[in-house]
Amino acid sequence: MELCDLTAHEITEIIRSKQASAVEVLQSCLKRIAAVDGKPGSLDSAAESEEDRKKVHAFISVLEEDALQDAQKVDRMIQNGEDPGLLAGVPFSAKDVYCVEGTYTTAASKILANFKSPYTATTIQRLKEKGAILVGKVNLDEFTYGSSNESSAFKPIPRNPWNTAYVTGGSSGGSAASVAAGEVPLSLGTDTAGSIRQPAAFCGTVGCKPTYGRVSRYGIVAFASSLDCPGPLSRDVRDAALMLQAIAGADRYDSTAASLPVPNYLAALEDGVRGKRIGLSTDYFQISYPDPESGELLQKPVPDEILAAVQHAADILRDAGAEIIENVPMPNTRYAIPAFFVISRVEAASNLHRYDGVKYGYRGGKPGDDLLSMYRKTRNEGFGMQPKLRVLMGMYVSGAQYAEQYYNRALKVRAMIRRDFERIFDHKGSYRLDALLTPTTTTPAFQIGAMGGDSVLMQYADQFTVSANHAGIPGISLPAGFSNGLPIGIQLLGPDFSEASLLQIGRAFEKGSAAEPWRTMKPEVLK
Amino acid sequence: MTEYEVVIGLETHIQLNTTSKIFCSCKADSWDDEPNTNICPICSGLPGTLPVLNKAVVEKGVLLAKAMQAQIRMLSFFDRKNYFYPDLPKGYQISQYDLSLASGGYMDVPMPEGYIRRVNIHKLHLEEDAGKTKNAGNQRLIDFNRCGVPLIEMVTEPDLRSANEAAQYLIRLRQLLRWLNISEADMEKGHLRCDANVSVRPKGSDQLFTKTEIKNVNSIDNIRNAIEHEAQRQIREVSAGRRIVSWTLDWDEEKNELRKMRSKETEADYRYFRDPDLLPLRLSDQWLGDILCDFPELPLERRARFISQHNLPEYDADILTGERNFSDFFEAALGAYGGDPKKVSNYLINDILRMLNEKGLTANQLKITPAYLAQILKMVDDGKINTSTGKSLLDKVETSGESPESIVEREGLGLVSDDSAIRAVAEKIVASHPKEVETYRSGKETLIGWFTGQVMREMRGKADPQLATRILLELLKK
Amino acid sequence: MSEEISPEMFKQLAALAALDLDQEQADYLRHELNQQLKAIHELAAIPLDDDLRITPHGIVYDQAISPTPREDVWQPCADPQKILNQAPQVEDQYIIVPDIPHEKLD
Repeated sequence: MELCDLTAHEITEIIRSKQASAVEVLQSCLKRIAAVDGKPGSLDSAAESEEDRKKVHAFISVLEEDALQDAQKVDRMIQNGEDPGLLAGVPFSAKDVYCVEGTYTTAASKILANFKSPYTATTIQRLKEKGAILVGKVNLDEFTYGSSNESSAFKPIPRNPWNTAYVTGGSSGGSAASVAAGEVPLSLGTDTAGSIRQPAAFCGTVGCKPTYGRVSRYGIVAFASSLDCPGPLSRDVRDAALMLQAIAGADRYDSTAASLPVPNYLAALEDGVRGKRIGLSTDYFQISYPDPESGELLQKPVPDEILAAVQHAADILRDAGAEIIENVPMPNTRYAIPAFFVISRVEAASNLHRYDGVKYGYRGGKPGDDLLSMYRKTRNEGFGMQPKLRVLMGMYVSGAQYAEQYYNRALKVRAMIRRDFERIFDHKGSYRLDALLTPTTTTPAFQIGAMGGDSVLMQYADQFTVSANHAGIPGISLPAGFSNGLPIGIQLLGPDFSEASLLQIGRAFEKGSAAEPWRTMKPEVLK
Repeated sequence: MTEYEVVIGLETHIQLNTTSKIFCSCKADSWDDEPNTNICPICSGLPGTLPVLNKAVVEKGVLLAKAMQAQIRMLSFFDRKNYFYPDLPKGYQISQYDLSLASGGYMDVPMPEGYIRRVNIHKLHLEEDAGKTKNAGNQRLIDFNRCGVPLIEMVTEPDLRSANEAAQYLIRLRQLLRWLNISEADMEKGHLRCDANVSVRPKGSDQLFTKTEIKNVNSIDNIRNAIEHEAQRQIREVSAGRRIVSWTLDWDEEKNELRKMRSKETEADYRYFRDPDLLPLRLSDQWLGDILCDFPELPLERRARFISQHNLPEYDADILTGERNFSDFFEAALGAYGGDPKKVSNYLINDILRMLNEKGLTANQLKITPAYLAQILKMVDDGKINTSTGKSLLDKVETSGESPESIVEREGLGLVSDDSAIRAVAEKIVASHPKEVETYRSGKETLIGWFTGQVMREMRGKADPQLATRILLELLKK
Repeated sequence: MSEEISPEMFKQLAALAALDLDQEQADYLRHELNQQLKAIHELAAIPLDDDLRITPHGIVYDQAISPTPREDVWQPCADPQKILNQAPQVEDQYIIVPDIPHEKLD
């Protein structure tokens, strides 16, 4: 096994015990990237060649020199008997919405392609302080808008390491792909409607969306400020716990970062699920989709293999001592996507207002244009379709005459979605659940181009993940098997700040399914 | 012939004198700085940045709300006001829309004519300032130094009925802001900005008609002039049967006239929504109590008290409550002295004030303390020194920092009250001016003043003048 | 079901959003917006409870987890020049933009 295929916790052990150096580990990752990643995403990409179509293209920029310096620093500390920190020598990638001083932070958009950040995000700062090595910035849907990474302005877009004709999922597509392809053991992504969990499921990795406010958002290009959550993608549950441990906690630069002490996520990780109450809801076994004509919401059952994966997981957890409670009602789940359409667009449109060509990024137009022309050309030329859609919709549904009908109504629906979760997690309620077990996605990864520009269909891919964003609760996606060679993920959702418990349950599932044959499968790009 | 009255509402933006900006730790005051040096990722709207509220901004907001008798909301919210402008880096301004820090309240403005105009407050809210732009040919130059400076916006109801009332309101507001140490309120530096909404209506009507907005006026005098002009213009228009259009106007102070600004297109739709990057602003009873525990007597209240309690004339009361340090000095001196407030007032208004203006100091920066002033007053009352010595002592105390008593001791400035010493001099004067004695004795009794003056001159001002006069009267009777 | 956003309204929205779109893009975007609105209309039919409290966030920020407001202290940015260096056009420390279109009035 290559060093780059090890888990983060294995890497820290090896480095601390001096069996390998941080530099050696980094070089293993760089070698893997060189072997499987192909051309990094960029603005000036020619058409894709046959060769390109077999590669992963997770990265936009590989920061080799800086990473080497960081790795050397870790090695020096080990030599001197100092502790480099919790993630000593662990290489990681970061979704290119994380500002890192001196690096380009593009948000996969032309409008920020030349933006060199003068400051560093809190989460990145914390990871570096704990000895982790930033290897590079990975690709994403433009401004995190999307569920397939296809909307990136930086081409070629990432491809699913399990079958490169398929999408990675999104928006943290590059994150998931870089972990799945063994390029890095850890990646820092963001999740606004499922953007960590869904690509994790599509690429067969673990993906964790912490509780809103558990991790600081300072330094992350914002999509929807009340929904965005930074979080880890990893190979196993312990690694997710490690990364979360490193980044969680209050931040004086983020007023919404909860000033709640961070528990030890590793302490009870192996304690098992005896006595845990885990629910199943039929509302998560139905796929909602809008009738293309009328827009009316219709329903159909999830594919068999996905249902089977969830039921199998329930069996494993039951065998491990958990109590499984069926038919837990979550009646407002089906309204999560329409509500998300409204709320996220209002916030996104506002968050995109700053991209005006005045003080950073792309400036369009020509000399002689007046200010208004400059604004319009900058934004038209700088933004791709997805940002444009969000700006237009956001402005429409928050306009004075529509705000009550759309925005305020959506906020109320969101409160109802939150209440569904409060009911099932209430200690004194009828269900008293520790977690809800659901599929992560409605289908496994789809083919590149399959959505055909249908923005509604694309958004509905997030229907099982987005309610957690509305409610603010944490969720974790775990690899649970395959369907036609493509990974399937299961999801655990829990009460506010219950990450330790979710990780514990996830670990129990991992242990219970450790011997299953699908765990030995390798991605196509590594064969 | 219809008589019209003018209806005015004022919108003021008050720049707070906190140390740092409202949502980041850059300096709040960068008046003298080079452009774009007092900026950070947050106030320049870089991607990924987030606002963090400055505690002192809330506290100053609460002080003003309390002073204006407004209703303070224990739970208020920040909202985003979205629009494009180059001096607004985020493309939205963080402000407060419907549930602001305070609402309601009023100020009773005393007018020189003797009546009081109550100005009701519609709303008081916290917000961040934008940067500055200036024209250079067909380009605009942008400076972000001022982005994020904390502002309080206070909007009055249309309760003012003349340009003078508007000016008086602003004068009192400025005084209050400085009194509470909330803002330096220097209009030339933009610490206090005011837009006026002006309309006219037939006298006696209670309808509100179309208003125009006057902006960018940078002094109280100019606001008065601009409102005067606009009121006259509107009355002319309406009398001629024409309708008022809701223009935005600005005042050209060189030409002394109003200019129409670029008209707004449709009413901007700012699409306000709660800013998700900030938590709701929650005032606890504890916090509110801490902010208000040292809440001072306000200038207008104190002014009224000086008139009723100390029997001081309005003129005196105005000056003695003009500025807080000066006012507190008066109170302390009066307290230490315990005598006639008018005497203390005279010293303050005539002498201390002159000294402060000459030296460019505030009363708390003087070496003369209220206790020292009280000492001087007591010595004059007791006849130890005369009034002119008292006045000259002020300069000596300020220069040396010594107490008045020790200076009088050291320089022998005390009045001579020794009967025989004065008598000796008085006898000498009487003896050497027989002509004047004759004139006095033949009926010109006012000459006693001249005689007293001669004794004083002979004794270098150190005689107790009353005693001198008494002795002279005695001598001259013979 | 008729389209909610007409070409007219779309044009206004695009102007408000400061986007200079060509016809092809405008057509695609308008179509997608209208499709999305059909999905959004699902919200219209939901009976809303009277006692619903709207909050700006999903989780509940009580006293225990809310950070305290910031102390009023000056902490200058380490290097403001780095920020200015990101601007497309700078002269004498000012950021330069074209002028705002003016309407000449009497």
